Amino acid sequence: MFTRRFLMGALSAVALMGPASVAHAADELYVPLVSKGFQHQFWQAVKQGAEQAATEMGVRITFEGPDNETMVDRQIDMLAAALANKPAALGFAALDSQAAIPLLRQAHKAGIPVIAFDSGVDSDIPLSTATTDNVAAASLAADKMAELIGGKGKVAVVAHDQTSRTGIDRRDGFVNRIKAEYPGIEVVTVQYGQGDHLKSTEVTKAILTANPDLAGIFGTNEGSAIGVVNGVQELGTAKDLVIIGYDSGKAQKDAIRNGLMAGAITQNPVGIGYETVKAAVMATKGETVPALIDTGFYYYDASNMDEPKISAVLYD
Amino acid sequence: MKQLVEMGGIDKFFPGVHALKGVQFDLEPGEVHALMGENGAGKSTLMKILSGIYPRDGGTLKIAGQDANPTSPSDAQDLGIGIIHQELSLMNDLTAAQNIFIGREPRKSFGRLDEAALNTQTAEIFASMNLALDPRALVGSLTIAKQQMIEIAKALSFKSKVLIMDEPTAALNDAEIAELFVIIRRLKAEGVGIVYISHKMDELKQIADRVTVMRDGEYVGTVAAADTPISQIIAMMVGREVKEEPLNVPDLGDAEVSLQVSGLTRGKDIQDVSFSVQKGEILGFAGLMGAGRTEVARAIFGADPKDAGEIRVHGKSVAIKTPTDAVKAGIGYLSEDRKHFGLATGMNVRDNVALASMDLFTGTGGALDEAQMESTAKSYIAQLGIRTPSDVQEVRLLSGGNQQKVVIAKWLLRDCDILIFDEPTRGIDVGAKSEIYKLLEELASEGKTIIVISSELPEIMRLSHRIAVMCEGRLTGILPGGKSTTQEDIMYLATQREAAMQVTGTVQ
Amino acid sequence: MTTVSEASEKKPARGLAEGGAYQKLLAFASLIMLLIGFSIASPNFMQTSNMIAILQATSVNGVLAIAATLVIITGGIDLSVGTLMTFCAVIAGVVLTYLGMPLLLGVIAAIGAGALCGLISGTFVAKMKIPPFIATLGMMLILKGLSLVISGTRPIYFNDTPGFDLISRGSLIGEVFPALPIPNGVLILFIMAGVAAYILGRTVLGRYAFALGSNEEAVRLSGVNTDMWKMRIYALAGGICGIGGILIASRLNSAQPALGLGYELEAIAAVVIGGTSLSGGRGTILGTLIGALIMAVLTNGLRVLSVAQEWQTVVTGVIIILAVYADMVRRGKTG
Repeated sequence: MFTRRFLMGALSAVALMGPASVAHAADELYVPLVSKGFQHQFWQAVKQGAEQAATEMGVRITFEGPDNETMVDRQIDMLAAALANKPAALGFAALDSQAAIPLLRQAHKAGIPVIAFDSGVDSDIPLSTATTDNVAAASLAADKMAELIGGKGKVAVVAHDQTSRTGIDRRDGFVNRIKAEYPGIEVVTVQYGQGDHLKSTEVTKAILTANPDLAGIFGTNEGSAIGVVNGVQELGTAKDLVIIGYDSGKAQKDAIRNGLMAGAITQNPVGIGYETVKAAVMATKGETVPALIDTGFYYYDASNMDEPKISAVLYD
Repeated sequence: MKQLVEMGGIDKFFPGVHALKGVQFDLEPGEVHALMGENGAGKSTLMKILSGIYPRDGGTLKIAGQDANPTSPSDAQDLGIGIIHQELSLMNDLTAAQNIFIGREPRKSFGRLDEAALNTQTAEIFASMNLALDPRALVGSLTIAKQQMIEIAKALSFKSKVLIMDEPTAALNDAEIAELFVIIRRLKAEGVGIVYISHKMDELKQIADRVTVMRDGEYVGTVAAADTPISQIIAMMVGREVKEEPLNVPDLGDAEVSLQVSGLTRGKDIQDVSFSVQKGEILGFAGLMGAGRTEVARAIFGADPKDAGEIRVHGKSVAIKTPTDAVKAGIGYLSEDRKHFGLATGMNVRDNVALASMDLFTGTGGALDEAQMESTAKSYIAQLGIRTPSDVQEVRLLSGGNQQKVVIAKWLLRDCDILIFDEPTRGIDVGAKSEIYKLLEELASEGKTIIVISSELPEIMRLSHRIAVMCEGRLTGILPGGKSTTQEDIMYLATQREAAMQVTGTVQ
Repeated sequence: MTTVSEASEKKPARGLAEGGAYQKLLAFASLIMLLIGFSIASPNFMQTSNMIAILQATSVNGVLAIAATLVIITGGIDLSVGTLMTFCAVIAGVVLTYLGMPLLLGVIAAIGAGALCGLISGTFVAKMKIPPFIATLGMMLILKGLSLVISGTRPIYFNDTPGFDLISRGSLIGEVFPALPIPNGVLILFIMAGVAAYILGRTVLGRYAFALGSNEEAVRLSGVNTDMWKMRIYALAGGICGIGGILIASRLNSAQPALGLGYELEAIAAVVIGGTSLSGGRGTILGTLIGALIMAVLTNGLRVLSVAQEWQTVVTGVIIILAVYADMVRRGKTG
C-alpha cells in the first residue's frame, strides 16, 4: 500500500502539473534558465521577459532558482538537472561562479552555448552576459541623493548582502561616488538586511535611533528599500528623510507615489530575461552575440514613473 | 432479576491469535463479579469488548436486556458502562475537576468555561463518595490512590450502571484498599454492577459475590466467592494446584554483613535510617505507600542524592553519588516500575541482559561481541527459566514475570551481590509470583544479599528473613521473619506516626 | 511451575520481524518505483550523468542526515547540523587558505571542530539538561554567526590548495571504471553510511544510543554513565557534520559562510522518510540513506520533467507526510 500510494501521489502530482512539458514536441528548442532566485518580484519579472522572448521566437524555456541567494549547492543541483535534459542553450546567473565551473565546462564540451545574466559568471565560457551596470546605477543613486539633500548631511546604506556581486557593486558604487564627489556628505553606516523586508525594517530603525539627524537612506534592492520605508514609517520621527530605493515592485511604486520615497533606480529585469533568451537563440543558430548586453537602468520618481519608457520596465 | 450485562459465545481474533473462544459473562445489578485469570487469559480483551474499545467477532452482547453493539468508549458510556483502566489515564497538569469533566465541561455563553460549576459538581461527586479531596487539586500532585479515586469519580459522573475496575488495588496500600471497598459497597447498594479484575485472592473473599475464571481465552467457570476455597480458584486459573511453600528462615549465624547503612537522611523523605543486611539474607521492607521505602532504595543506589549517611559494602565505606558508583560497588536495583525504569522496552532480551555490563562484550574500537552476548543471554534464559521465543525477542512482548527475570539476569550478569527488589511481583500473575519467590530464595541461598520492598504484607511475610518497617521516612522497627511475626505487628509499626508515638494503642 | 501462554508470546515476535524487513523493502521499493516512474515520464532522466548528479545532490544532505539519525535515535534532535557543516567548512578554509596548512590538516581541523561543537551541544543536553531542541537551536545560531565572523562574511576559496576540490569532485571509481565516474563525494557518503551503520549495530556506543532513546532512566539505573555516552554521540554526530563541511566546501571549491540554514530540516526530513522515529529508540542508517535518495530523486526528477518550481516544493511536502503516514499505518497494524 505504501508503495502504491507513494508512487501514485508522486506521479499524479507530476501528471497534474507537468502536462505541458511532457507534451512538447522534440524538435522545439529548449532553453533552461537557472537564476539566482525565484520568489522575489524581480526574478519573476526576469522570468516574464524570458517567457515573452520564448513565445516570440518559438522556443521552450524553464526558469528556476534556489529559495534564497545563499544556497549555492542547490543552484548547482538545478544546473545539473537542466543539463540532463540536453538543452539547446543555457541561461545562468551564478551565485558563485567558481562552484559552477565544472558543470559549465561540461556544457561547453557538449556544445551547449551559455548566456550569463544578471550579475554574470566569472568565466570565459559564457558567450554573452545580459546585465545591469550596477556600479553606474548606484552612482546615479548617489548623485540623486546628493541633489535631494542639498549636498551635505549624513546618509546611510541598507544593503541586501555583503557577499554577492550585486550587493558589493551597489554598495561600493554609492559609497565611492559620495566620497569622491560630495565632500559635504558622510556615509555614517552600511548595514545589511539580507534583502528581507522585516530584517531591513529592524536595521533601519536601529540606524535612525543611532543617527536621529540622518538626511537620507539608500536601500540597495527591493526588499531593503521597502524595509527602509517600513522602518521610517514605524518610527514616525523622520518625516523629511530622503529614501532612494532600487528595483520596483508594487510596494515601492506606491511609496514613491505617496511621497514616502523620493525615487528609485530601476534595472530592466524584463529586458534581462528577454535579452538572455534572445542571445541564447541567436547562439544556437550560430550567429555572433555581443559579449556584454547592457540592459540599462533608469532613475524614476513620481514625476516620470508613468512615462511609457519607464513604466514598461517597472514590475508589480 | 434483569441482568445488567449478558455476554455469550464471544469470539475475538487478532492477527494470528484466537484471543477469545466463545466466552460468556454476565452481571447482575448490585453485585461485584470478579473476573480472574492469569495475564494473557483474555480478561482485558473481554472487558474492552464490553466497553466498546474492540469490536467483537462473534457472540451476543445484551445490556439491560437489549441487544447492544457499542463501537466506541463514548458509545459504551452512553449505555451506562464505565471503565477504570489499570494504567491511569489522567492528565497530570489538570485539576481533579478538570479531569473528571474533560470533554464535557460546563460552559457559559461564547464557549467560556464555567469553572465554578465544574468544581461544585465535582465536589458533589466527591461528597457522595465520602472522599475528602479538593476538586482544584492538581492530579499530578496526588498519590496514586487518590488518582484512582478520581478515576472512579469520573466513571460515576457518567451515571454508570456498570463499572469495570481493572486491578484497582494494584497501587493501593491496605488502608486505601479499605477505603475503596467502602465505596464499592456503597455503589453496590445503589444497584451498580461491578466487574472486578484482580490478582489478589484475599480481596475476592472480602468484596466479590461471584467469580468467573478465564484461561487462555476460554471460559473456565463461574463460582460463588463465599463458599469456594481460594486454592480451587487458583487451580481453575492455572489448570492445576499451586502449593504455597512455607517460609524457611535460615540460621545465618555470623555470616558477613554485606551491606550496612547508617544515618541515611534526605529531607523529610528519609530520616536517619540505619540497618544492615547479611550475606544470604532476605530483608523485607514493609510500610504504607509513601513511607519512604523506595526513597531509601534509590538513595542507597545513588539514583537520588542524599543529605547524609554512610553506606558500607562488605565492611568498606563507599561513596555512592550515581548509579554507576553503586553498580561498581556491587549493588543492583530493580525498580517497581519496570517499564519506565527497569527495561529498555523497545530492545530485545539480549540487549537488556547486557545493558549494565556492556564492557564485558566490548572489543577494540568499541565493537560488540554479539556471539558472546547471545550465549550469555541464552544461558540466563535457561538458568532463570525466562519464557521467551528467543533471545532477540523485544522485552515489551514478554509477560510481567518474564520481564522481571530479564532485569534480574541483568544484575546477576553484572555480578551484583546486593540486590534491591522494589515491588518485585507488581503486575505479575499468581503462577509467576511463586516462581519469582523461589528465585529470590535461591539467590539468597547462593549467598546474595537481598532486600525486598513490598506493599503486599503476605508477600513480605512469605519471603523475609527479617522485616524492616518504615513510617513517614523513619525506620520504626525491625521484626524477625517467620511465624512469630503477625500482620498486626507490622501494621502497628507501619502506622507509628511521630505524633502518635507515645500513645500506646492496638491497631486492628 | 506455570505454563504461561507461550503461543501468544511467539506470534507478535514473528510479526515484528516481518514488519522490520517489510518496511525496509517498502522504502527501497518506493525509491525504485520513483526511478522507474521518472524514467518513463522523461527519456532524459535515466542517463549516467543525471544519476551521478542525483547521487552528488544526495551526498551532503545524506551525510548530515546520518549525523541527525544518530542523535534522533537517542531521543534527541540536532538542529545545528546545517550551520555546523558551514562552520566546519569555514574552519577548513581558515586552516588551508588563510594559514596555508597542508590539505590533511584542514580536513582534520574541520572534523575536529565538528566533533568539538557536537561535544558542546552534548554537554548542554547531558550535563546542563537543556532540552535538545533548544540546545541545538542555540548552537545553530551561534555557529551561523561564528561562520560569518571567522570568514569575514566573505566566501573563502580553496584555489591555493591543490587537490581540495578533488575530495568531492574527483572520482577514484572513475579511474578504475571510466564508464562510471561516480564522484568521491558520493563514495564518502556511502563509506560514512557503512561506518555509521557499523557503529549503530555493532558497538557499545550504538547500542547505548538505542537504549537511551528506548528508556533513558532505565539505562541510568543500570549504572551506565548516560551523560557521557550522550555527549559522545553528539560529538560523533558533530564530527560527521565536519565531513559534510569538507564535502560541500570541496564541491563548491569555497566555504560559503551564509549557507546552511534550512539544511537541518532537509536532513531531518530524510531521516523521517527513512523510518526513524522522532521519539527515539528506533531507526536505521540504510533507511536514512534511502530517505535522502528519495528526496534527491524526487527533486531532480521533477526538475527534469520541468514541473514548475512552486509545485516541486508542494510535492516534496506531500511525499514527506505520505511516507511518515505509511510508516504509522504499518506500525499501527503490526505493533
